[in-house]
Amino acid sequence: MPPRLLPLVCLIPYVCLAAAPSFEKSIEPFLKSNCVLCHNAKLKVGGLTLEGYRDAKSALKDRELWEKVVQKLRTGQMPPKGRPVPTPEEIASVTGWFETQFVRLDRDMKPDPGRVTARRLNRVEYNNTIRDLLGVDFKPASDFPADDSGYGFDNIGDVLSLSPVLMEKYLAAAEKIARKSIVADPPPKPTREKIEHFPAKGEESPAQNLSAPHPLPVEGDYLVRGLVNGRHEALLITLWLDGKEVKTFAVSTDDEAPRMGEMRLHIPAGEHELKATLLHDDSRPDAEPDPNEEKVKDKKKKPGRDPFVDRFEIIGPYNPHARPLTEPHKRIFVCGHAPGQHRPECARLIVAALARRAYRRTVSDAEITSLVRFINLAQQNGDSFEQGVRVALQAILVSPHFLFRIENDPNPNNAALSHRIDDYELASRLSYFLWSSMPDADLFRLAGERKLHKPEVIDAQVRRMLLDPKSVALVDNFAGQWLELRNLDSFKPDPDRFPNFDEDLRKAMRQETRLFFEAVIHEDRSILDFIDGKFTFLNERLAKHYGIAGITGPEFRRVALTGDERSGILTQASILTVSSYPTRTSPVLRGKWILDNFLNDPPPPPPPGVANLNEAAIGATSSLRQQLEQHRANPACASCHRRMDPLGFGLENYDTIGRWRTQDGKFPIDSTGTLPGDKTFSTPAELKEILKADRDSFARCLTEKMLTYALGRGVERYDRPAVNLISRQLAASDYRFSRLVLEIVKSLPFEERHGEAPMRPPQQSIAFSGGKP
Amino acid sequence: MITGKHLARRTFLRGIGAAISLPVLDAMTPAFAATTRLASNSPRRMAFVYVPNGIIMKDWTPDAVGTQFELPRILKPLEPLRQQVTLLSGLTHNTGRALGDGPGDHARAAASFLTGVHPKKTAGADIQSGISVDQIAAQKIGSATRFASLELGCEDGRLVGNCDSGYSCAYSNSISWRTTSTPMPPEINPRAVFERMFGDSDETPEARVKRLSYNKSILDFVLDDTQRLKGDLGRTDRRKLDEYLDAVREIERRIEVAEHDSKQFVPTIEKPAGVPVEFADHVKLMFDLMTLAFQADLTRISTFMMCREGSTRTYREIGVSDAHHPLTHHRNNPEWIEKVTKINCFHLEQFAYFVNKLKSTPDGDGTLLDRVMVVYGSGLADGNQHTHADLPVLLAGAGNGAVRPGRHVRYPKETPMNNLYVAMLDHMGIPPEHIGDSTGELQHLTDLS
Repeated sequence: MPPRLLPLVCLIPYVCLAAAPSFEKSIEPFLKSNCVLCHNAKLKVGGLTLEGYRDAKSALKDRELWEKVVQKLRTGQMPPKGRPVPTPEEIASVTGWFETQFVRLDRDMKPDPGRVTARRLNRVEYNNTIRDLLGVDFKPASDFPADDSGYGFDNIGDVLSLSPVLMEKYLAAAEKIARKSIVADPPPKPTREKIEHFPAKGEESPAQNLSAPHPLPVEGDYLVRGLVNGRHEALLITLWLDGKEVKTFAVSTDDEAPRMGEMRLHIPAGEHELKATLLHDDSRPDAEPDPNEEKVKDKKKKPGRDPFVDRFEIIGPYNPHARPLTEPHKRIFVCGHAPGQHRPECARLIVAALARRAYRRTVSDAEITSLVRFINLAQQNGDSFEQGVRVALQAILVSPHFLFRIENDPNPNNAALSHRIDDYELASRLSYFLWSSMPDADLFRLAGERKLHKPEVIDAQVRRMLLDPKSVALVDNFAGQWLELRNLDSFKPDPDRFPNFDEDLRKAMRQETRLFFEAVIHEDRSILDFIDGKFTFLNERLAKHYGIAGITGPEFRRVALTGDERSGILTQASILTVSSYPTRTSPVLRGKWILDNFLNDPPPPPPPGVANLNEAAIGATSSLRQQLEQHRANPACASCHRRMDPLGFGLENYDTIGRWRTQDGKFPIDSTGTLPGDKTFSTPAELKEILKADRDSFARCLTEKMLTYALGRGVERYDRPAVNLISRQLAASDYRFSRLVLEIVKSLPFEERHGEAPMRPPQQSIAFSGGKP
Repeated sequence: MITGKHLARRTFLRGIGAAISLPVLDAMTPAFAATTRLASNSPRRMAFVYVPNGIIMKDWTPDAVGTQFELPRILKPLEPLRQQVTLLSGLTHNTGRALGDGPGDHARAAASFLTGVHPKKTAGADIQSGISVDQIAAQKIGSATRFASLELGCEDGRLVGNCDSGYSCAYSNSISWRTTSTPMPPEINPRAVFERMFGDSDETPEARVKRLSYNKSILDFVLDDTQRLKGDLGRTDRRKLDEYLDAVREIERRIEVAEHDSKQFVPTIEKPAGVPVEFADHVKLMFDLMTLAFQADLTRISTFMMCREGSTRTYREIGVSDAHHPLTHHRNNPEWIEKVTKINCFHLEQFAYFVNKLKSTPDGDGTLLDRVMVVYGSGLADGNQHTHADLPVLLAGAGNGAVRPGRHVRYPKETPMNNLYVAMLDHMGIPPEHIGDSTGELQHLTDLS
């Protein structure tokens, strides 16, 4: 059972001290005098009307709407500037009343874990799962169509669809993976291969010596020949293998005999370097010049030319060894027999072990039997046992049990009955959350022993997983999307304005943020370091970009930050760049970035075709700031831009690609700003102070983002008690990163789920801009 | 007790925009059945080319209608081909409008463009649009060819963050929808497309037969397995597996076609190495592949997204360093309008290449362009104001006599875009009763208006 939320009530002093006001006595009069002048049924400013709510019951029916109203009141966004401002006490009375009601509603609400739609593996998860299943990083998903995203992440069950193109790719990938993983083909028959010297363009005559790389599929005996062409002189040919001289032969001067050196060698499989060199043999006379030289001239032999090594011939393999076993092959053939020596009972063992890991759960006898059939089928077709395992592996890799993460409900058609997910399902939730991949042996073992869900076990596992190198997936996939870092790859700053920007800088920007996030994970730092952590990771390129001296070389190292210019994530070049236009900075975009990703309070988009921002004038006759301030004078724009723009102004000291600046063109940078609630700042550092003071908003934002990513679904109203609980525990543990992850994996929505009513429930409208109620 | 077991196939049709009956297993009917309606032996084909963020309409719409009109600046690249194109003015996608859903016009523009359906506003849960016109055709006549349809594009939908005002990125990344909840993401890599069309290995015929037979056994196995699994799942999970089953059946069908396919077509281009660095090269290569697919009769239906809706691509190659989407919110700034116009022209130049390619590719006793109908357009007219009326739409090709090109036709205000699709499907031999908000078949495609 989740803890009750009672204590929260008395965190709001007003509620504890004053007599409880009623909707009719306190709220309605407040609305009348402060809100309905604009938000009435006729004007519907912002698509909102607050008329027609007569009592608590009718108001609380539209809870989401009132939550937004409360938030606007509390943060001073409403009433708008120019309207009479109610006293802080009046506002506290209204927000306090609503919050008490919300807490009461939450308390009475039945805990609801929600449900997650079966999640198809996305591209990253598919690659990682194949890697961990077979032990080789094939990256087969690079050709798959891009995965769509929802709620800001590309691992959302409802959004991950499956088109025929993707199915075709799954089938092709499975075939390729099976072929590469399992050694099934008999050793090759001997063949003769020629490696000739083709003169490069502009090369008059071939060089005298010849060297060439050559791969050999299996270990065995090979005949290696070096053949000579050109004038019939007395020559010595030396054959080399992999840089070592092997043997020297006297080349026959006889016109009829083959002119070559030939050796028979036992050579291991793999890439080899062949070389043949020529020397004149002073101990023998050269052949007489051919009296019919003219005649022969047109023939291929070209006897008049200086002698040269014309080609290699490799004939083999004789007495071949079996093809070398690959790492995946060794993993799959758990019986441990040599190829060709498998006994029938191995089929079940091999297939069962493979399917268990691929399906991430126990498998039934019937499932094993139906997979073993592929081995029998192959053998009936005259193929080998190994070939049969290939087909079985292919079948496993296109099965929905592999491609989807399916969680079973004891009552699939009943939304009212919740249950704890089983330990195998929990293992997959953990591993795909923290590693974007399948569970490892430890997780499987604990799931098999039904111990994984125990608090102390899951605690230890999460800590272990966070320290595992595979947790880099959390950086690339969670942080990469939360911070919009992935957009850096396609960002193209205008090269005329930013000639210094190149791929090295792009990489360095990305690496700084990755290493920073990794440090927060591995050192279990406070999440508030994202706001103003006084350290970072730099190489020479990025240090120069920041104007930080004393760092040389391309490798990244940890750097303690002093001074006010840089700290935390917001002032890293990567973030400053992805929140700019290609040609200039945008306080609006940067402000929106902070609202979206640090406060989870996204502003609505502007109505299309709104008033003019005179782009041509920016930096010429007026500063960008002056332009935006004019824009905000328009009341239609003001209520949103009053929140957005000042946040962005606070970062105006950084140009489009994140360099520090004090001038923009001929205008000095003014990075002062006033946020709703009359919070003022005059430097980026002071802006961060304000953000840090509101640490609970940040913690809550990060909690909701990470919960979305962990669950693979949007965070809904019924998740609110869970979010509250996680945020509170996080605050109580100094905002340690591990606490955030631990509280998420122990939360109700992560550990439980329920079935689903067979018929679609009536649509609930979440209206604010849509014109309800 | 398991209920709702028989919902499976019906769920494909839920919320469908088209009123024609679409039994999904029709895809399994023999190839000749669908083509018998066509007058000529040479098949009719259709393609849809989408460009994002609207068009500067003053430089798109000719002043005069009929055959005597001057091509405005953006359409100039089509001058040598003007006898092969039909300009259609006045068409509207009402379903792209907000209709009470607030902001999100870009997402709605792409999602409604071929579906004619107002998409459900959601950031993830329960995505709903309609079956797109290409897929309606694919489900009816797609069984005649190896691929029921091709979905191509030139911009990977991998941007993160919010795609458009509370709409999942699925809506702006794809224009083609196989079911009401399954978008068909376009393929971006020309190499992968080529390999899918022509194979990537020179295996022996025996090896191929064996491979196809194993693949069939595998698909049988997963079909069985999935049917069993579905019974234990809740409604939404079942829908996900229906999507999976549908895809498996489509691949099964492809394998069957491939088994009986003895035709050998030697592609006239080399296998592409990957995605070309230059955008124009990339687009042209994709158009080459579309042409090849028609020529080899690998498919008769194709869609192509020049860029995803809301694209922020920059066009340095024509001197535009700004991102496309922010530029279209030009608020009447002439400099910005000029830049957007340049992008519009650039896209048309690439399209002209395609039309020319179709025109120079022989097909039976004519050319591919004689048989095809290619729609070029955007789901937004004015990108600055997000308008969904008087959309920029043109039709290239004669569709085997379905269209008499070389004209500019102006339709009454608010004529549904869906009427065009009704007409096109009719000419493909699959007349629908209606699509979305269509009010009938678009007139004047063959006569003078």
